[in-house]
Amino acid sequence: MMKTKIMIMTTTITSMNMKISLIRAAMGSLLLGGFLHSSFAQNTEQQDLGSSVVQAESPTHAILDDLREDDDLKGDKLEREISTTIAETIKNEPDVAIRSMGPAAARPVIKGLSGSHVELTEDGAFCGDMSATSPDHAVASEVLTAHRLRVLRGPHILAHSFSAAGGVVQVERRDIPFDDSLFHGYVAGYSESAQPGYATAVGVSTQVAGASLKGELSGRRMGDMETPDGTLKNTDIENGSGAVGAAYALGRFRFGASYRWFDSDYGIPGGFIGGHPNGVDIDLWKRDLTLRGLYVPANDARDTLDVTLRVNRYHHKEFEGKKGAVGAEFAVNQENLRLQKIMANLGPLFGVRLGAELDSRSGKMGGYVFTPPTQSYAGSAFAVASTSGWRGLEITVAARLGGAIFRPHESVVADKGTIENRNFGLWAFDAEFSQRVGVGKFLTLDVFRTTRAPTIEELYNQGPHLAAYTYERGYHKLNAESGYGSELEYRSYGDIFTWRATAHATYFLNYLAPRATGDTNWSQLLPIYQVSGDEAFLFGGSASVETVAERGIHATASASYVRGIYRNGNDSKNKWSDMPQIPPFKFHGELAYLWKHIRPSIYTDFALAQHKVDRYEERTPGYITFGLSTEIHWELALARYSLVFRADNLLDADVRNHLSRLKSVMSEKGRNFSALAKIEW
Amino acid sequence: MKTFKTLSVALLGTILSVFFVACSDNSNSTSTEQHEHFEAEGWNLYWGDWQLAYSVYRGKADSSIEVMHVNANCMSEHIHVKFLDDNKKEVEPPTDDEHSLAWEIADEKIFDVHSCGSWGFHLKGVKEGETTLILKVNHHDHADARTPAIRVVVDKALDAEECPFHEHHHDDDEDEDHDHDHHDHEHEHED
Repeated sequence: MMKTKIMIMTTTITSMNMKISLIRAAMGSLLLGGFLHSSFAQNTEQQDLGSSVVQAESPTHAILDDLREDDDLKGDKLEREISTTIAETIKNEPDVAIRSMGPAAARPVIKGLSGSHVELTEDGAFCGDMSATSPDHAVASEVLTAHRLRVLRGPHILAHSFSAAGGVVQVERRDIPFDDSLFHGYVAGYSESAQPGYATAVGVSTQVAGASLKGELSGRRMGDMETPDGTLKNTDIENGSGAVGAAYALGRFRFGASYRWFDSDYGIPGGFIGGHPNGVDIDLWKRDLTLRGLYVPANDARDTLDVTLRVNRYHHKEFEGKKGAVGAEFAVNQENLRLQKIMANLGPLFGVRLGAELDSRSGKMGGYVFTPPTQSYAGSAFAVASTSGWRGLEITVAARLGGAIFRPHESVVADKGTIENRNFGLWAFDAEFSQRVGVGKFLTLDVFRTTRAPTIEELYNQGPHLAAYTYERGYHKLNAESGYGSELEYRSYGDIFTWRATAHATYFLNYLAPRATGDTNWSQLLPIYQVSGDEAFLFGGSASVETVAERGIHATASASYVRGIYRNGNDSKNKWSDMPQIPPFKFHGELAYLWKHIRPSIYTDFALAQHKVDRYEERTPGYITFGLSTEIHWELALARYSLVFRADNLLDADVRNHLSRLKSVMSEKGRNFSALAKIEW
Repeated sequence: MKTFKTLSVALLGTILSVFFVACSDNSNSTSTEQHEHFEAEGWNLYWGDWQLAYSVYRGKADSSIEVMHVNANCMSEHIHVKFLDDNKKEVEPPTDDEHSLAWEIADEKIFDVHSCGSWGFHLKGVKEGETTLILKVNHHDHADARTPAIRVVVDKALDAEECPFHEHHHDDDEDEDHDHDHHDHEHEHED
């Protein structure tokens, strides 16, 4: 996606607010570093956006994509929400929930889909960790150093993943500093009471001898989590991360490289059935080397050719109770080559993205892990293109085609019969039809086919998982997951309110997930989870409304609901029943007052009880929490200063997250006072 | 010429970086090996006279002997540990050096465990009360198998000469070793 320069012309704009909203929506896509200066602009054309006329360069992406950028968490909005993890930070986004196992091990869930259905990327390339494979595995990415967080929706998902039904959470870091800024930097600090401790980050980018350089360091040290029922032991977090990057321009070429490291030591609390009473400690580290080359043609600077190689090393050790004794160990070495060609205009098409990805992954296991070491390879090609149709209709179509092969090695922990090479052919498509149905009103229909290959664990694992307190059985004969779905979205940009409502439904012919069998491994006394492929149907919706005033009273509210049912092949009655791990209805509302520099607000969050549970799953009670915050933002001497004070869960309510394994022993964070300070220049 | 030099330096840097990371592939490997593990569907615990003291199969304890008793200030008889397989057939404990008996006591102020041989132990009553014991088959510092929580009742304190079971000298010798072992177990429990 490229930065598009769009100018609002003097036209029949009925509302200043509408104008502001459109400007805001259209400006500033910096996802690829924003290095393409607007002076590269060439062709211009006019687009009628309701009552306003926007003159733009030949569009490089659909209007809806611009409008969706407005949903991104960046700047003030990101600072307002920032928390311990990426998942915690985006939890108020529509359709987003958190799967967790302690405050460190938290991962986003989108429309009820978790694990490998939700891809995480950093600067557009995969985030190499094992957070998708188990709820106790943390996302190896520091949220405090993120410049922008985006929940990618619609056809553009297929530029990164086959899982059109889920989504992609993009973390923008700008590790390769293509933006040519002379001197830019920030210092940020975060602290909270419910997990006493701090997080701090400092980053600088500058130009030296024609090369752009970046450096960044961060640290996080947080203690055990305080809940209304007391301290939850072994929930502390100690993270350290850093990055260095460089970029250089040579004629029409741009070259860049970055190196990012992330180290984490965190605890998983105990007290679950079969678990160690004192919990499990997890040490992990991640190293990413990213090399990137870019060709900017002379005839149209938007028609870039982009090559990215990411070399990832990830290591993860689990200790039962005390350091020195390794209970489980994972070492993953992964390389990913990504090639992408953007064509701003191609006949009737615009925003054309053609690309390919090659991926090699080696997984080695040690200790008490029952997955055989496995080498896997994947390759895919993708295409995304938009076109304009009748009376403001825009159509964006995407497809992804590829395959994955798995080569497990013999191992003492695996039955010989289960060591079987597997090959999967994969294809997915997505077509989105967005129609302007009135002044600032858009109705969008998205239809897609979703798929994904099983993971190594889903295919070959045959034993207990120490930190997750489960006995997990994979199935080497699994087929690729597949399903069809659609989403209907309505957006309205009015004089007073901006609102958005969606309804979505996905029918899976073969939905892969581990499910509690009701059986127990009697040696370990652990509940047995079996991965199987079943028919499943997920449906739900979300709605959000926001006032558009830039001063005075500002109100926002959002709600999400999803329901999942599946037909379990193991059930002799073969009836539809509720799926496990489906988040309940949730609501977030905020009332703020905007002065020039200060923004005080009150907010509430509530979730209904979840009674729609799988056979061996516990019900979860609902909750309601209230909070207060005050933000102060000002600019002085070319620097921007921000202070955000929050008091979450003021009444110390007992909050149980349905998607948390902790819910059976302890509630989530209790009353929490937090402060964020940031200086950016 | 200057451009050529810059390009050369950039290329060299890139190649060196790729080479460095490619070479470090082997450095990211596991430091521990995967091992075969001991599996048990149940446990049989016998008193020294081979009377069944406790039995559990697939999580279900024999209801007639669910509780183990010992008097405060007294050592219990020697307790032998045996295991049950899929067919409820009794099997011997592992014979290799990698597996060992370990335990967790919910309240160590009530009783203690003194190891006796590789797969045997004594209960030592400390004070009157009730708590639980979990026995485990440790393997490289993780448990391959474990019992459910076993109820242990410590009855009233007796004088040493009144204790129904008296330790033999060889047990004392073993206890010295096991005190050392026990120290580890306590440490593990504290963690």
